[in-house]
Amino acid sequence: MTAARPRLIARLVVAAVLLQVVGARAAEPVPGEVAQQLEREIGALRQQLQSTQQQLEAMQTRLRQLEAQNEALAAQQQQQALQSAAAAQPAPGNPAVGAPAAGISPDLSLWGYGEIYYDRPVHDPGLAQADLARAVFGIGYRFDDRTLFNSELEVEHAVSSASDRGEFEVEQFYIDHQLSRWAGVKAGLFLMPFGLLNEHHEPTQFYGVKRNYVEKLIVPSTWREGGVGVHGETPLGLMWDTGVTTGINLKQWNFTPGAPFYRTSLDLQAADIAPMQATHQELEFADAQYLAQYAALNYSGVPGLLAGAAVFSGKAAVPAGFPDVRATLWEVHGRWSAGGADLSAVYAHGSFSGTAPFNLANLGASNPLPSEFLGYFLQGAYTVWEQGSYRLSPFIRWEHYDMGASYEGIPPGFTSVPAGLAPDGKPWPLPRDRVWSLGANFYLTPHVVLKADYQHFDINSDFSSIDLGLGLSF
Amino acid sequence: MFTPSRIVFLPVAALAAAQPVQAMVYLSLEQAQELMFPRQTLTPAPLALSAAEIAAVERETGTRYFAGALRAWKGADGYFFADAVIGKHDLIRYAVGLTLEGKVRQVEILEYREAYGGEVRNAAWRSQFIGRAHGDPVQLGHDIRNVSGATLSCQHVTDGIRRLLAVYAIAIAAR
Repeated sequence: MTAARPRLIARLVVAAVLLQVVGARAAEPVPGEVAQQLEREIGALRQQLQSTQQQLEAMQTRLRQLEAQNEALAAQQQQQALQSAAAAQPAPGNPAVGAPAAGISPDLSLWGYGEIYYDRPVHDPGLAQADLARAVFGIGYRFDDRTLFNSELEVEHAVSSASDRGEFEVEQFYIDHQLSRWAGVKAGLFLMPFGLLNEHHEPTQFYGVKRNYVEKLIVPSTWREGGVGVHGETPLGLMWDTGVTTGINLKQWNFTPGAPFYRTSLDLQAADIAPMQATHQELEFADAQYLAQYAALNYSGVPGLLAGAAVFSGKAAVPAGFPDVRATLWEVHGRWSAGGADLSAVYAHGSFSGTAPFNLANLGASNPLPSEFLGYFLQGAYTVWEQGSYRLSPFIRWEHYDMGASYEGIPPGFTSVPAGLAPDGKPWPLPRDRVWSLGANFYLTPHVVLKADYQHFDINSDFSSIDLGLGLSF
Repeated sequence: MFTPSRIVFLPVAALAAAQPVQAMVYLSLEQAQELMFPRQTLTPAPLALSAAEIAAVERETGTRYFAGALRAWKGADGYFFADAVIGKHDLIRYAVGLTLEGKVRQVEILEYREAYGGEVRNAAWRSQFIGRAHGDPVQLGHDIRNVSGATLSCQHVTDGIRRLLAVYAIAIAAR
C-alpha cells in the first residue's frame, strides 16, 4: 500500500511529461514509427491508470469495511464500559443501575429485592414483630436475541428449616421466547398477570409497608403457576397474555384448625390461609389432573394510564368422592399517574363452585370452604417533596376484603366462624374487614425506600397497627 | 379433563398472523437512521467531550455521563443519536432524531430485552418527547408521564434523553 503511491505518482509524472511532449510536437509532423510508439505508451499508461483507479476503489471499499468494523467494536466496548461503570458506580440518578453481571457474561443478569417489616399492633404492643419478610435474588440468562431465561429464588422470613416458619421458594423459573415483533411464548413457572401488584411486587413499586390485602388475600400474590402462555402487545399500547397453567387444589384446605391462623395483620398476610393462597400450588408436586386457563388484557396507550382485567378459571383438584369444583378468579384494575399524583384501584372476585358437599362433610368446621371471596381498594398518593434522588410520597388507601363473602352447605345452627372463644381466650377473627391505611414512602433512591404507615381495621380492630419498613430493589 | 375455552384461540390466531422477525432487537441502527432520515447520508459526528463539558452535562441533567455510550450522526436536516441505558436490569438501546434546532423529532426503541417494562415501546409514550429540547424539564412524573409497571424503564430512557439533549446543546450546538 505504501509502495503503490510513489509508483503511481512517478507514472503520472511520466505521463504528464509525455503528454506535454506530444502536445508540443503536435504542430510538427511526427514520423509514423514515433507516433505509433507514443500511442502504445499512452495506451499502456491509460491501462495502468485504470488499474490504479480500480486498486484505489478496492482500497476505499476495504477502508469503509474497516471503519464499520471499528464502529461496531467501539459500540461493543462502549456497551461493556457502560455495564462495568454501572456495576461499579451505582450513583444516584444514574440510569445504569442494576447491571448485567459484567465480567461473567454479558448474557447473564443478576438482580434482587427484599423488605423488612416492623409491625406494632396499637392495642396490644406485646404482639409487635419484626420480620425480614422476603429476600429475593434473580438470575436471568439470554440465550440469543429472542430467548430469555428468568428465575427468582426467595427466602421468606429470614430462616427456612423444618422447625421455622420461613420458606425457601422458587418464585419464577421460565423461558420466554419471542415469536414475532409483537408476540412471545413463555413456559415454566411464571407470575400470573393479575392486578397491579402481582407482576410488579418489589417493595419500591407499592405504597405502604405491607402489600394491600386485596392483592394478598384475594389475588394470592406473589401468585405464580406452572404452564405455558402466549403474550404480546400492539404499538397502540394494548397488551395481552393468555395461557394454560396448573390450577387450584382443594385437598390442601384445612377445615379444622385448632386455633386461629392469625392474630395480627402481619400474620394475616404471612399465614397463607386465604382461599386461593391456601390452595394454589406453586409447582410443588402440583396436582395437574386438571389444568386452568387464564387471560389478561391491559391498556397503557395513554401515557400515565393503565387499565386492565384478567380472568382465571379451571377445575380444581378435590378429595376422592367429592364432585367437581370450578375455581374462578377475575379482577379489574386501573391506575392513573400524572404530575406527582398516583391513583389506583383494584376489584377482585373469586369463587369455588359447588362447595356445599365439602362443608356438609365438615359440619362445625372452624374454617369452612367459602364459595365466594372478594375485595377492592382505592388508593391515592402524591409526591409532595423531591430533591435529587430523595422523594417523599404520602398515600392513603381504603380497602375492603372478604375471604368468606358467601358459603354453601352451612345449615341453620352452624356459623362460618366459630361463635365462642378460641383456645387463646380471644374471639375468633372474622375473615373480612375494612382497612384504612395512611402513610408515606420515602425514597432514598428509586431503588431504596423507607416506609411508615398506620392501618386501621374496622372489624378486627385488634389488627390495627403502626408499621415501619425498609425495601430495596436492584 | 382439560377443555380449552375460546379465549385460548385468540392469541393463537394472533400468532398465526404474526411474521417471525428478530423481536428483542426491534430496529437495527441503519433501519432507525433510514426511518428518521430517509435517503439521507448521515456522517458520524464524533463526541469528544472535555472534562468541563461532561461536568456541565452531569450538573444540568442530574445524571452520569459515560464516554462512549452515546453516539451521534449528522444529516442534512438534523442529528441522529444512538444511546443505551439500563431498564430494570438489562440494556435498552434507543435512538433519537433531533432537528437542526436541537428539538426531538423522533424516539425509537432499538432493543429491549427485559421481561417487564416493554411499554416504553408504546408510540404514545415515546411521542411525549417530540419537540423537547435542552432546557425543558424532560423529567418523569413532571412533563413526561409514567407507564405503570414500567417505571424504571421509563425513568431511565427519560434520563437518557435529557442527557442526550444536554450533550447536543453543550458539545455540538455550542461549538
